[in-house]
Amino acid sequence: MDELIEILQDVQPDADYENCTTLIDDGILDSFAVLSIVSELEDQYDIRITPADIVPDNFNSAQAIYSMVKRLSGEEE
Amino acid sequence: MSFVSVHFLIFTAICVAGYFIIPKKWQWIWLLLFSYLYYMAAGVRFLFFILFSTVVTYIGGLWAEKGYRSVVPLALVLDFGMLAAVKYTNFMVGNINGLFGTNLREFSLILPLGISFYTFQSAGYLLDVLWKRCKAERNPFRFALFISFFPQILQGPIGRMSRLAPQLYAEHTFDIRRLERGMLRIAWGYFKKMVIADNAALYVNVIFDNFDTMPGYGILGVLMYSAQLYADFSGGIDIVIGISDMLGIGLDENFRQPFFAVSITDFWHRWHITLGTWMKDYVFYPISLSGWMGRFGKFCRRKMNKDVGRALPICLANILVFLVVGIWHGPAWHYIVYGLYNGAIIAASGLLAKPYRKAKKALHISDGSRGFRVFQILRTFMLVNISWYFDRSGSIRQALVMMRDSILKFRFSSSVVSSDSTWAGSSAAVFLCVIFGMAVVFFVSVQKERKKDVAGAILSKPLPVRFVLLLALVLCLVLLGNRPLSVGGFIYANF
Repeated sequence: MDELIEILQDVQPDADYENCTTLIDDGILDSFAVLSIVSELEDQYDIRITPADIVPDNFNSAQAIYSMVKRLSGEEE
Repeated sequence: MSFVSVHFLIFTAICVAGYFIIPKKWQWIWLLLFSYLYYMAAGVRFLFFILFSTVVTYIGGLWAEKGYRSVVPLALVLDFGMLAAVKYTNFMVGNINGLFGTNLREFSLILPLGISFYTFQSAGYLLDVLWKRCKAERNPFRFALFISFFPQILQGPIGRMSRLAPQLYAEHTFDIRRLERGMLRIAWGYFKKMVIADNAALYVNVIFDNFDTMPGYGILGVLMYSAQLYADFSGGIDIVIGISDMLGIGLDENFRQPFFAVSITDFWHRWHITLGTWMKDYVFYPISLSGWMGRFGKFCRRKMNKDVGRALPICLANILVFLVVGIWHGPAWHYIVYGLYNGAIIAASGLLAKPYRKAKKALHISDGSRGFRVFQILRTFMLVNISWYFDRSGSIRQALVMMRDSILKFRFSSSVVSSDSTWAGSSAAVFLCVIFGMAVVFFVSVQKERKKDVAGAILSKPLPVRFVLLLALVLCLVLLGNRPLSVGGFIYANF
């Protein structure tokens, strides 16, 4: 999780990733930021993220992103 | 049947009244009937196009759900192929003739009503089914209503199956408050359209159509075009949302005070929102996450600085999206430049995001400061107005000449607000109508920007006050509206 927060901080530093659960709904992460995060996640965790995965539910919080990464890498949460 | 016509008002009144009189289980059938009546009023020959799109998308959705994924690209090719055939054939013929000196004959094609909007809505549905974001609709008639719902077919907003369809098929009970809210929204839409857009159009047409004989009025022309385009399109959407609201159907908003945007990216989050989100979900993400873009991204990250390597593929995808936006606006090169101009600015701001953040930090500029926000709004407004030159001009050359003359031959003479025949009927009264209308829109926009529910505040007032306000809006239409209630098409209906 700490590694993930680091990636998020690098892409978009001005956000409270520990507590915010509306990263997409409140426009804190725009489509540019989402794709930057996706490319980092794909490199870091060797996963494949498809357009079907790009829904607010998967990106609204650091926890949601973490869960998606776990799911896509086939690990149990 | 134009929205700005007595026929349309009567048509809508009968539709709304009947909707709440008939048994509720038939309400969606009633809407389907009126949607097809509206469509046929534009010409029975156009029925083929919407029926073709409906059948192809309906079957495509069912098969995609059964696991035949390859049917989706085929259905998309058929849907967009039909749109391309009627919209872009002559553009291609003209360019081939120009390039190779051939003399191919152009076709006599009329753009079927709403084809861009229902094609986009159909494509979104197919991809949503493919990506399991919604279930395929099994009833072909219900599906036909989703594609043809008459208020939105002309100029959107582009609906999504998961949000729109359940409302279309639901049973709705009559609600006087919702009816009143809808009527207020409709009156507001007509106010924007008739008092601002159709009056501003006089200036826009004269200035842009005579740019070579009357140079120097470009800034006035483009500012008037800002007013016209916003009032025309958002006014039309107000009417659409107002009618739907009366029926109990909540459509997605298509505008959110676009001229308060602080960047071009922000502008596209506030202007034609449903097109922007459609492009993002169904073009931008699929391109960005495609295999070849992924390989290009990996190559960039390996060879370049980390931040640039990460941003470059996204910028490229973004430029491709705005190329599509430009082509969607119309079959002409100046629209393509319009799209690319927007794409290039957004791409540049993405690439420069980090240095920009650092520069702001070094200069102690806070995003929250009022002065900086005003600067950002004015800068964005100027960049948007530059794009309008390409949007409204008939050619790239005209746009460039007008931009040059706007500066080098700047003029704003008193004849602008006189009854001079050169200005095609424009006069001080017309000029003041636009200014008055925009002042009212500005006041309302400021309230909305402060998260105040303007319509809600009006509707909570006592009945006499509400009646006087609605009467004042209608009086404005009668006294200040440019056209009689029988003419006046909408700009975006042509897209």
